[in-house]
Amino acid sequence: MTATAAPLKDLSQPMSVTAPKPQDEGRKLGFRLTLPAQVLVLFISLFPLLMQLYISLTDWSPLSGMAWPRAWEMWNNFANYTDLISDNRLWSALGRTLLVMVVCVPVEFLLGLGLATLFADDFPGKRIFYSILIMPMMVVPAVAGYMFYMLFQSGGPVNDILSSLLGTPVTVAWLSDPVLAMIAVMVADIWQWTPLMFLILLAGLVGVPEDQMRAATLLGAGPWQRFRTIVLPRMKTIIIIALAIRVIECFKIFDTLYIMTGGGPGVATETISVYIYKITTQDLIWGYVAAIALAILVVLSVACVWAMKRMARAQGDRA
Amino acid sequence: MNRSLSFEVFRYAAILGALAITLIPILWMVSMAFKPIPEWQATGDALTWIPKAPTLDNFRFIFGESSSNLIVALDRTAAKPILSSLLSASIGTLIAMSAGTAAAYGLSRFGSGANLPLALIQLRLFPPMAVMIPVMIMWSFLNMMDTWWGLALIYGIVTLPFAFWLMKTFFDDMPREIEEAALVEGCSRARVFWRITLPMMRAPLASAALFVFILNWSDYLIALLLTTREWVTIPVYMASLSSSMTGQLYGAKAALGLIAAVPPVVMGILIQKHLVRGLTFGALKQ
Repeated sequence: MTATAAPLKDLSQPMSVTAPKPQDEGRKLGFRLTLPAQVLVLFISLFPLLMQLYISLTDWSPLSGMAWPRAWEMWNNFANYTDLISDNRLWSALGRTLLVMVVCVPVEFLLGLGLATLFADDFPGKRIFYSILIMPMMVVPAVAGYMFYMLFQSGGPVNDILSSLLGTPVTVAWLSDPVLAMIAVMVADIWQWTPLMFLILLAGLVGVPEDQMRAATLLGAGPWQRFRTIVLPRMKTIIIIALAIRVIECFKIFDTLYIMTGGGPGVATETISVYIYKITTQDLIWGYVAAIALAILVVLSVACVWAMKRMARAQGDRA
Repeated sequence: MNRSLSFEVFRYAAILGALAITLIPILWMVSMAFKPIPEWQATGDALTWIPKAPTLDNFRFIFGESSSNLIVALDRTAAKPILSSLLSASIGTLIAMSAGTAAAYGLSRFGSGANLPLALIQLRLFPPMAVMIPVMIMWSFLNMMDTWWGLALIYGIVTLPFAFWLMKTFFDDMPREIEEAALVEGCSRARVFWRITLPMMRAPLASAALFVFILNWSDYLIALLLTTREWVTIPVYMASLSSSMTGQLYGAKAALGLIAAVPPVVMGILIQKHLVRGLTFGALKQ
């Protein structure tokens, strides 16, 4: 990309010299073109954040009988933030979210990488297999959740397949057992998102130059050695991007999980998003929800800035 | 590279295994959608994998035709939720694409809005759950709760990052000679954008719009919070489809799920080429 961008800039240089005004005209047009996006971003960030901060310092709830601007009457001396620290349900929800993340992301990555390796060169049927394999990620997540809800019923296909494999009737109630429900939820996530890893990693693998691989083979490098010394370094950025996308999305996990288990049995599969959803719609303690939400936003922002700085530094090192 | 026969056997075996795992959940739902009620659940001996007496009753049922086999009748049909999903997702796509394309061009050509790339990535990073309290308050203040236009607006904002980044990479890739030539001919820059660049970008615009539409169509959480009755979308409606009398309406839900799943899968296959670019914010191209 940088290779093509450079000569284009040179082309535009004489343009601005010959025509006196285009620079100014361009700036004005650029401003007008970016304005709607800027307005939308401000509309959804600045005001909501301030409102969130304000509400998070009070005991306000939609049931308290007053409009939110008057929430200051219910000022509670940062009690929401101190409550948050001792909220065990919050911490275990966070723990479960992280558990889903550390199980699902590596599994999806390894399966995706394995599949991508199989697809690296041409073979009969490649295109059609590829199209089918990436289908799960296009299925509406809520619908995928429903599919797996049906699959994991005690009289459902999963038990049916297990029964015929094991030779004895299996009638496990997957979604009503705390541990099994968690496994079922993870299986659904892996089913839906391994294709994303596969798709992205395959795009990276295809970019590895064939002649280098051939040269390495001639020099006696085995498959693992070729992979480690040629493929892996070239795919580093792509792997980081793929992992980052899945980590971020895993943190938000809601749709499939909520349809399958509703966070249950009890709170056995309650993740951060499910927990916030429940206290928003059932307990209606919006002041407290705002405090949790804001804390998450702050932590994520710090993590994001830190990650971007590290990536920029890594890129600087390579250049 | 010389591939041995055993590798080819292994490859096909592995791929066939992956295909089976990929397809079983989908095919189970498809099969369920066409099953009559007695076949919904295992009866005594074995499961029905392929409907023995395929029927369209499930589809008729969700569109309000009373089914002789089901005691319950729906208090509302799937027609309105489908309309709601269609309206909110497509108008949302229009909002995201208009604002995103314009901003992407402004940044790509004139360097305006340099803050947008990072701001939009951050917008994408945050879990929607973490900003929903203020959004719910704002939406009810603006009388946009439980309306398709309220959903369309939030969809437009939520998918703006994708529209912007996709179009930015498309504009960055586009050769500028034609634009430069038109400028020399005396076209104004606005006219060049409107009459030359946009028509040239028809195909990328269509791919990006389909990509954004899939994302909007797939939403569940936002609609769950911002709609209550009148304008619930398909996933929200689907989740509410069960009754205390019949328990889970497996077949009816599967029929609805099938209707919801088909458009994005078809669109996704249409824009296969650009999926990687869209999913990685343009960082990667296929």
